[in-house]
Amino acid sequence: MALIKWKNKDLYDPWEDIRNLQDEINDLFNIEKRQGYTGLFDRNFSPAVDVVESENDYSVICELPGIDSKDIDLSITSNVLTIKGTKKSESEDKNGKYYKKESWTGSFQRTLPLPAAVNGEMIKADLKDGVLTVILPKKEEAKPRSIAVKVR
Amino acid sequence: MRNNVNSENKKYYKACCDIYEKNGQLYLELEMPGVSKENLEMKIENDMLYIHGKKNINNNNKDIFLLKEIRDGDYHHEYTIDNTIDRNKIEATLSKGVATIVMGIKESEKPRKIAISGK
Repeated sequence: MALIKWKNKDLYDPWEDIRNLQDEINDLFNIEKRQGYTGLFDRNFSPAVDVVESENDYSVICELPGIDSKDIDLSITSNVLTIKGTKKSESEDKNGKYYKKESWTGSFQRTLPLPAAVNGEMIKADLKDGVLTVILPKKEEAKPRSIAVKVR
Repeated sequence: MRNNVNSENKKYYKACCDIYEKNGQLYLELEMPGVSKENLEMKIENDMLYIHGKKNINNNNKDIFLLKEIRDGDYHHEYTIDNTIDRNKIEATLSKGVATIVMGIKESEKPRKIAISGK
């Protein structure tokens, strides 16, 4: 199982400090306010992912600009979701003279362990405008239940 | 092409951007995942090219973010275009979250060979 950064507000997140430092350094150079710079450390070599938990399902939202749906491989084993894929260069020939290159190409993989069991049969995935949305319904036993307690 | 100083609004941020020249045309590729065709706005005012991509965010307060890496806010770019760009030859397409703007370079600005006639 791969390690990922979990954002749980109740827990102390050691990576938060590093992210704050990153923001501070970017502020120091004022780099984000200058046009054309995405920040000193903001080069992404793996797609950004949001995991949202709602009452009945988990949604995984992944930014995959410029990728065909056939180049994305989505798989689930028990409650571990894996998004794999290859991002190909839009312009195959490299003859162009580049002034700036911030986008990345190549293969990527994200492994996301989900906190509760999901219903594997009911998973829906949709790719629209470069955003992949995967909706994973929770299994009945993982849903929050309220148990009535009779007071005598 | 010269970059311009951004406005102070922190809500906007810049998309990943590739700029390259090929076959006498200048290509500007911006990765804007989550921006649909209706929400992408592009305009040219005098020498300024404005690109604004609005993101669709459906926020439900009840939902809990277990992981949040995608930044909120819209994409905003401002570029100054100089006279080498042919204003009538600017085309833009948006597919799979990538906006491509193709700008034609004026014929007079292209490098050309000067034939030398030997006598």
